[in-house]
Amino acid sequence: MLSLWKVSKTSGVFEHTKNSLLEFFSVCKSFGGVKAVDGCTFSVGNNTITSLIGPNGAGKTTIFNIISGLTKPDYGKIKLLDSEITGLPAYKIAQAGISRTFQLTKVFRNMTIRDNLLIAKKASDGEMKSALARVHLHKPLDMAAGELSYGQQRLLEIARAVLREHKLLALDEPTAGVNPQIRQELKAILRGLKEKGNTVLLIEHDMEFVMNISDEVIVLNEGRVLKRGKPQDIVKDKEVLEAYLGK
Amino acid sequence: MPSILPQLIINGLIAGSIYALAAAGFALVYYVVKFQYFSHGAMIAAGAYFFFLFANVLGLSFAIAGILAIACTIIITLAVNYLVYLPLRKRKATSNVMLITSVVLLMFFSSLILALFGSSTKTLVLGSEGQIFDFGLFTITSLQAYIIFFAIALFFVLYLIMKKTRIGKAMRALADNKSVAQVVGINPERVYTYVFIISGAFAAVSGILVGLEQNLYPKMGVIIIIKGFISSVVGGLGSVPGSVIGGFFIGLIENVGVWYLPTGYKDLISFSVMILFLLLRPQGILGVKLRDDT
Amino acid sequence: MIHEFFIQDFTWFFIYLIIVLSFNLAFGFTGMVNLGHMVSVGIGAYTSALLTLNGVPWYIALLAAGIIACVIGTIIAAITVRLKGDYFQIVTLGLIFIAIAVSRNWISLTRGALGLPGVPDIIRSNFYYMLFTMVLSLMALWFVYWLTNSETGKIFQAIRDDETATAILGKNTYFYKVLSLAISTFLAGIAGGLMVHQINFVDPSIFDLEQFIIILFMLIVGGLASIKGSILGVFLLFALIDLLRFLVVRPELIGPVRQMALLLILLLVLIYRPKGIFGKVDI
Repeated sequence: MLSLWKVSKTSGVFEHTKNSLLEFFSVCKSFGGVKAVDGCTFSVGNNTITSLIGPNGAGKTTIFNIISGLTKPDYGKIKLLDSEITGLPAYKIAQAGISRTFQLTKVFRNMTIRDNLLIAKKASDGEMKSALARVHLHKPLDMAAGELSYGQQRLLEIARAVLREHKLLALDEPTAGVNPQIRQELKAILRGLKEKGNTVLLIEHDMEFVMNISDEVIVLNEGRVLKRGKPQDIVKDKEVLEAYLGK
Repeated sequence: MPSILPQLIINGLIAGSIYALAAAGFALVYYVVKFQYFSHGAMIAAGAYFFFLFANVLGLSFAIAGILAIACTIIITLAVNYLVYLPLRKRKATSNVMLITSVVLLMFFSSLILALFGSSTKTLVLGSEGQIFDFGLFTITSLQAYIIFFAIALFFVLYLIMKKTRIGKAMRALADNKSVAQVVGINPERVYTYVFIISGAFAAVSGILVGLEQNLYPKMGVIIIIKGFISSVVGGLGSVPGSVIGGFFIGLIENVGVWYLPTGYKDLISFSVMILFLLLRPQGILGVKLRDDT
Repeated sequence: MIHEFFIQDFTWFFIYLIIVLSFNLAFGFTGMVNLGHMVSVGIGAYTSALLTLNGVPWYIALLAAGIIACVIGTIIAAITVRLKGDYFQIVTLGLIFIAIAVSRNWISLTRGALGLPGVPDIIRSNFYYMLFTMVLSLMALWFVYWLTNSETGKIFQAIRDDETATAILGKNTYFYKVLSLAISTFLAGIAGGLMVHQINFVDPSIFDLEQFIIILFMLIVGGLASIKGSILGVFLLFALIDLLRFLVVRPELIGPVRQMALLLILLLVLIYRPKGIFGKVDI
């Protein structure tokens, strides 16, 4: 596979091939003087699994919130395919084709599993059941989502995000609070999604998981892109190790 | 016409001291315990009626009646905390439930007062009627001067408690970050007890002062706390000093506004100011950062 | 022939059912704690009273009651719905006091504290008026049932459970929140119109917190986001009031004792069973 990226570290300008789905260009965001994202530039290749990693406070979740329109960037541009989505309200970005999950799961607790999925897409029961089966969640559609365990709620959230028509699937720590067996299954699910032409952007702390399934890894530190590359190169990188171990 | 402006400003300061007192008690609870403490209005009314009971019905001296009224109001405040708010906190009730419960309590106490004392207005009779000072540009009664003096003295005491005492520091720590405060060994419930004691004392004093300046009626608590609350929003919800400033601000605006509008529109002025603040500057005058629920 | 007493009671039952159903739509189903719901009812009552007193036919007046309440409600909603945290609740609570101040002081329109007496009946016979309110409340019942089971209604409930997640799934949550309040205030306005033609009188006390406590009791004790709960809540309140009428002998105590009983029950429900009897959700 050819490398999609050539980042010029000094200027933040990057050239990308026609293959990128999401472009994130010189994005900055501060909260009360603290720079959460400080001139981030990267892009996500079409039909890849890309992981964002980095120590706590590196700005990963802020980047997700900016991508999905929950946080407005102070500066910078975000493009999805050829259209700019910077500063659009969350629902319009969602309609443009970004589907995401949250670090702390957000299911509609008082609603049934069916209604949870219905908000994402007007699907038939059969379609819903197969969406649930894909994440190995075998529960009746009429069950209230609030009655599911934490890990099961996370699976429901993933199923809901996958069910929606989308171009990019952004998952914020999908393995957190999920048992090891399902963790292995998640790998298979993500690979399956990629085979079907999906593009996945991940935030993940489980390094074994990241290194195993990512095509590309982007390492963030203090709101900047520290390194990007293939997983096998990233694990050997000195700077990356320092960023993690230096803390 | 401009000759009445000084008088309006003085009236504004008097009303402002009362609003600021009500706002301070409300804001202290909001700041530390983190909920909309509307039932503070009920405690203000309770303080006023206790004082009426001790001073005018039982004929005790003003000082003793005042101390007893403060003590009784603190007891009721604590009782309400233990019987109502504590179970809700234990259940981790949402802010909506806390808000509604405190409004329900406010109404409950006003009906209780109505049942016990009747709907007629009560007047606290002072031994002496008090002097009226005429400064040419404006007049002020000795009572009104006392109100301003007491209010400012109380704010100073509250400031000292918050800044200098251990319990005040614990309150600020809790307000800032509950889990961190717990890690360093602060017991939230114990601190909350002190918060309610202070707010109860504040309620009683504000009730007595309001009762002396205006009259006593069952729904007085509702009216006062609404103004106290508006002051708190305008000054900066969650900031005690902000709420005090907000109280004086609202008092002044209402009274100076009467220059332009009929008296009946006083309430409209303060509410409009509050809504403008919520829309344009939700952090209030002092710029307290908005609590983020997400 | 049914006893006059029950006719009155049933008429009130049906009117309050519309109020509580509309309250539930915004509060229970969409999670918008609109503490100023009675303001919409009052606006409806004043609208219908003023129009019929000036010779406008009742059916136009009643419709106008709904429309005016809805227009004002929608404008307010469009401005306030974006407020974060508790601020929406606070503004809606403030609306109560603004409504009181305006209705007391806009004397050329409302006659202030004197109120508007002599509002004509829609139907002379109390029995037929009861049937009329029954038909309207059944329509409201069917409509709210249909709406809450429709896709729009599911989106309302999704917003209540998690607004961010609803937006992330491509729904314009701002639009749906305003829509929910628009429908809710329209129904409340109609109910206000029905109310004013029942008592033939309206004054600023319609906005009082005491009035609000009544519908709060009905909604919360019956249960949030439950249509069954709303019916039961209205029923329980009337049963309680009738019971107290017989229990309390001293007439001057009926008011405060009734109020205290309601508030005490409400308090216990809030502390020990915030979902209410048939409620499905926590707020």
